[in-house]
Amino acid sequence: MIAVVGAGLGGLLAANLLAKEGYKVEVYERLPFPGGRFTSLNYKGFEISTGALHMIPHGSRGPLAKLLKKIGVRVEIIDSKPEGEFLWNGERIEVRRRVFPLKAILKFYKELAISKFKDRTLDIFANSLDDFTKAFLNSFLGWSLSIYSEDITFRKFYEIFKQTVKYRGPGIPIGGCKAVIDELVENLESMGGKIYLRKEVRGIKKSNEEVKLLIEEWKCFDGVISNIGHKLTAELMGEKVNLPEESRGIKYTLKLEEPFLEHTGVLFIANKNIAGMNEVTNADPNLGKGVMLQVHQPFKGDARRAIEDGLREIREVVGKNFELLAVQSFSRDWPVNRIKAGSDLGVVFKERIVVVGDGAKGGDIEVEGIALGVEKALEELRRWI
Amino acid sequence: MRVEDHCVGCAYCMLVCKFEAIEVFGKAKINEEKCVKCLKCVIYCPVKAVKG
Repeated sequence: MIAVVGAGLGGLLAANLLAKEGYKVEVYERLPFPGGRFTSLNYKGFEISTGALHMIPHGSRGPLAKLLKKIGVRVEIIDSKPEGEFLWNGERIEVRRRVFPLKAILKFYKELAISKFKDRTLDIFANSLDDFTKAFLNSFLGWSLSIYSEDITFRKFYEIFKQTVKYRGPGIPIGGCKAVIDELVENLESMGGKIYLRKEVRGIKKSNEEVKLLIEEWKCFDGVISNIGHKLTAELMGEKVNLPEESRGIKYTLKLEEPFLEHTGVLFIANKNIAGMNEVTNADPNLGKGVMLQVHQPFKGDARRAIEDGLREIREVVGKNFELLAVQSFSRDWPVNRIKAGSDLGVVFKERIVVVGDGAKGGDIEVEGIALGVEKALEELRRWI
Repeated sequence: MRVEDHCVGCAYCMLVCKFEAIEVFGKAKINEEKCVKCLKCVIYCPVKAVKG
């Protein structure tokens, strides 16, 4: 018997894969709903996402889509068209390789060569670029990773960049993030897997042959998959770990009278605190009774001040004609990313205990990284179960 | 009802409150006049910052 602590996307993917191989799996979730930061709650007729932006970074071609297919879960993903636009000096420019100056591309290859023997932070490369390319790079980092260029090394960035070139841009799952979670839950239960909501794991003890979890009483398992991050996992074992910083972000959900973007891609915003926005109701009108625009802003420090800046910038870009449905901030114990992109820790926590999900991602963005991390974690766990 | 300092402002409490008693801008603020103490915000808070 295998236990999964936390019914987030990583936990549910892992549970499904193991159940498919014939293992008995039990998932324990502390909150009253599954999906963690990759689902939505209905509010005033809109599917307000709990974290993610109702987008899958590499659409129907990426690692998550492939893993869902492997599990046998059917989710329709509408690939964004255009993939992205960049708002530069009041003009929307479709993001293609040819909009960037040749000089910037040459500098990229030069930095790539340097990175082979010297791993510098990305801001050194960013500051060597022309204003246009630099602004786009910063918006891209803010939108997709909630980080600034000084937070990541060129090598780590290149890993993510390669994935983006290989699989290309985003897609929107029909039914939003919640549809993916609902399908995973239904599929797991159809294979005999169990999900317990509002059941908190309060302790973890390990011996050579098994792992014990304190649920209502101590219960034995052959292996444990933790979907609650390294920090909480350690705390449940009575230990402490030193972690790199988390990444923080603010998400605004707006109701509009008329579509503003009028497409299914991302609008990256140049030289502002807000990094980008999407309008997912253009791909799936059932995600809201009206037009739903989501805006994402990374931030450091105090949320309230960042929100004031963000709202002012939204009015500059979108106008004043909107209803603000929700402002959600994510930091500290409920962040955008438990560990900044590029700094993720390994998937093996201890013998028989692996970590999946946010904080244990493979080399890719957000949920794509989660999908890669899950496969890595299960490979490791199989040594013991 | 009380919101502790470690509230991150994720607004799950606001989204599930049937009585529109919660506003969130960086931190949750509960309007005691509208609140009926159903405790839904307490069980949906992922960081256990809302106390009944």
